[in-house]
Amino acid sequence: MTIQSLDPRVSRLGLTSLQNDDAEQATVNQFPTFQVFTQKKEDKPFEHGGIVHAPNIEMALIFAKEQYSRRFTCSGLAVAATTSVKTTDVSENKEDIYNLIQEPAVSSSEKEPYEIFHLNKRGKQTVYAGSVEAGSFEEAAWEAKKAFQNDKPVYNLWLIRRNDILFIDEEDKDIWATLGDKKYRDALDYKATDKIKAFKEEQNR
Amino acid sequence: MNTPAIKDLLYKMADDQLILGHRNSEWTGFGPVLEEDIAFSSMAQDKIGQSQALYQLLHELGEAEPDTIAFTRNAEQFHNCQLTELPIGEYDFSLIRHFLFDHAELIRFEMLANSRYEPLAQLARKIKGEIKYHVMHANTWIKQLGNANEESISRLQNSLEYALPYALGIFEEGAHEEALQSEGIFPGEKAVMEEWKKRISERIEQTALRLPDFSQLQPVYGGRKGQHSEHLQPLLDEMSEVFRIDPTAEW
Amino acid sequence: MYGGGNTFEAPKQNEMQAEDPQKLAEFEARIERGEKIEPSDWMPALYRKQLIRMIEQHAHSEIIGALPEGTWITRAPGFRRKLALMAKVQDEVGHAQLLYSAAETLGKSREDMLSDLISGKSKYSNIFNYPAFTWADTAVIAWLVDAGAIVNQLANSRGSYAPYSRALERICAEESFHLKYGHHAVIHLATGTPTQRKMVQEALNRWWAPLMHFFGPPDKMSVHTEVLMKWKVKMATNDDMRQQFLDMYVPKIWELGLTIPDENLRKNEETGKWDYTEPDWEEFKRVINGDGPLNKERLAVRRIAEERGRWVRNALLKSEANYVTPLA
Repeated sequence: MTIQSLDPRVSRLGLTSLQNDDAEQATVNQFPTFQVFTQKKEDKPFEHGGIVHAPNIEMALIFAKEQYSRRFTCSGLAVAATTSVKTTDVSENKEDIYNLIQEPAVSSSEKEPYEIFHLNKRGKQTVYAGSVEAGSFEEAAWEAKKAFQNDKPVYNLWLIRRNDILFIDEEDKDIWATLGDKKYRDALDYKATDKIKAFKEEQNR
Repeated sequence: MNTPAIKDLLYKMADDQLILGHRNSEWTGFGPVLEEDIAFSSMAQDKIGQSQALYQLLHELGEAEPDTIAFTRNAEQFHNCQLTELPIGEYDFSLIRHFLFDHAELIRFEMLANSRYEPLAQLARKIKGEIKYHVMHANTWIKQLGNANEESISRLQNSLEYALPYALGIFEEGAHEEALQSEGIFPGEKAVMEEWKKRISERIEQTALRLPDFSQLQPVYGGRKGQHSEHLQPLLDEMSEVFRIDPTAEW
Repeated sequence: MYGGGNTFEAPKQNEMQAEDPQKLAEFEARIERGEKIEPSDWMPALYRKQLIRMIEQHAHSEIIGALPEGTWITRAPGFRRKLALMAKVQDEVGHAQLLYSAAETLGKSREDMLSDLISGKSKYSNIFNYPAFTWADTAVIAWLVDAGAIVNQLANSRGSYAPYSRALERICAEESFHLKYGHHAVIHLATGTPTQRKMVQEALNRWWAPLMHFFGPPDKMSVHTEVLMKWKVKMATNDDMRQQFLDMYVPKIWELGLTIPDENLRKNEETGKWDYTEPDWEEFKRVINGDGPLNKERLAVRRIAEERGRWVRNALLKSEANYVTPLA
């Protein structure tokens, strides 16, 4: 006997029992996580949106698109494995984290681009600051200090090698071109004060 | 413009999108991974939104309101291919159907972007992006699961073999093929099918899956003429259960 | 969608003694200054424990909360409602994803949280154990349960834990669509045909008691949560949230000519607060302990969804890909 539910979809799931008879425990490890960054407009910096769980970076990008940009048009989307993001400590009380960063003892000759992100206030999202050329994370942090430190405190740095980031291809950016602007998702599309007014007038007659 | 031919084209496209969007929405809340649950729901919404836009074009050609067309017809009045009405099954089948259908849909809309029936051409251009994502999504999944482990490969293979005859039913020709072609409205089902075979073959080749010989397959036709499997009428009854309480009421 | 209120354990007497007083003082000073706590900061074990518990329950409430309204996802009347309900239920799943992520930053993995949900070890908001018998139930849920959730979530978004605040900021923005959509749907039923009016009144009758339960037991019955309020984990008392909800929504319900099934409900002009019949807290306890109308079905659905999806996850898991705690 399959369980019948008020939800016809549930009735079709083929549940035969509501008892939780020793459900196979989730012994499997879970998917790794990826940090997701969205760019809302061409002239705005990328901003951290959150994470997705995904088996690999390619699927992370596919998942990130709907979890982090289904409500607005984006001009860019990027993901990076959590393990590829290097972070500093988080400072507090207007202390600039850059003040704790010192010049590395050795300098490497092989350099590559690193992307630098700032936490400008505790509790806000981490925002893209710019890129630097460096041979290690330590060098990247030092280069970032020289390039981006100013009188506004930065509380936390994220550093990612550009090669570890997957961006939506330039030619695929039209995936945000959709039918209308999905008005049904927008609170502004649900005005009904005229109905209430008409109803009240009807009642008072 | 040849209005009967255009209406025929619009009806089958709109019915396909509505029925498949409806089916895919059944996964919302039950998906295999939270992130995928969200992505699959978005694509189901896109399909239903597209069907609404197509019914709106029909309305502008003198047919009833989109809600009336969608929620009050019976199965024999629907022109969707049978592929779209099949139950969602396990996720392997839903993914394979999504892969097979959405490739055809993308090609169809790419062609329609140049249609001489301007309202449809405009719509096709507008939704280009969302369909592109659908195909990216499908390709990524098929590539991953089609190369993963024994279970996923055999599940996809079985679903592929089950779905392909139905998928060929997408390209069932109607009475107006020639008129649509000669008037530059739509290049025709054969043209879509040839391109579709090419594109899905390319993708399947990148996996451990095997594509059967198309010439050995018996396409499942009938949907375009209102002949359906036993699954469509119950779907429609369910979909319109509330609407039919009072079709004149505002819900 | 989440009410909370009932979710805190009383801290044990000795629970704070092991903490380093210097670190604790710095931690409290940071909160006092109005600065948020980021995941890599030192934090008292009790803070971590209570936050995991609260955010996890919130996440579970979203994913289970997708089920009552999901009951009508294939039957929504007309394109507008069909699209809106799909998007709303999808958002609830999306909110669960965001909240699990926030809880994960505290060191509990999503798989562990989902296992604890399915085994019944973790709780979720009681209200989702009630059935949605008709279309009107979904409208009432979308309007009033989401309204209640917004009251709670707006308060919580001012809390001290940064990842939770970030998640709630986005969640609250999306809930404003849910609330407006729900109100819109209720208005259409309440001002519609006699059949529609009857449907919505009956749904309101069914949901009123669960809504009153939604914010948790009255403060006089609740555990002491001073330290959690000081640490900005719990941001408002259950009674305050309930009063705020009544203040905002009772007039809106009445203006639609609907009757609220509590003859004692009125605004007390002297106290400025709402008087109401005390909800049945014994029923509340029964439901939270598993004996509600749909507790078993809700968990069974979640279980079968996990089981049916297992082959997908197993196929794609790579042994070399390590799970690490997410950053923010």
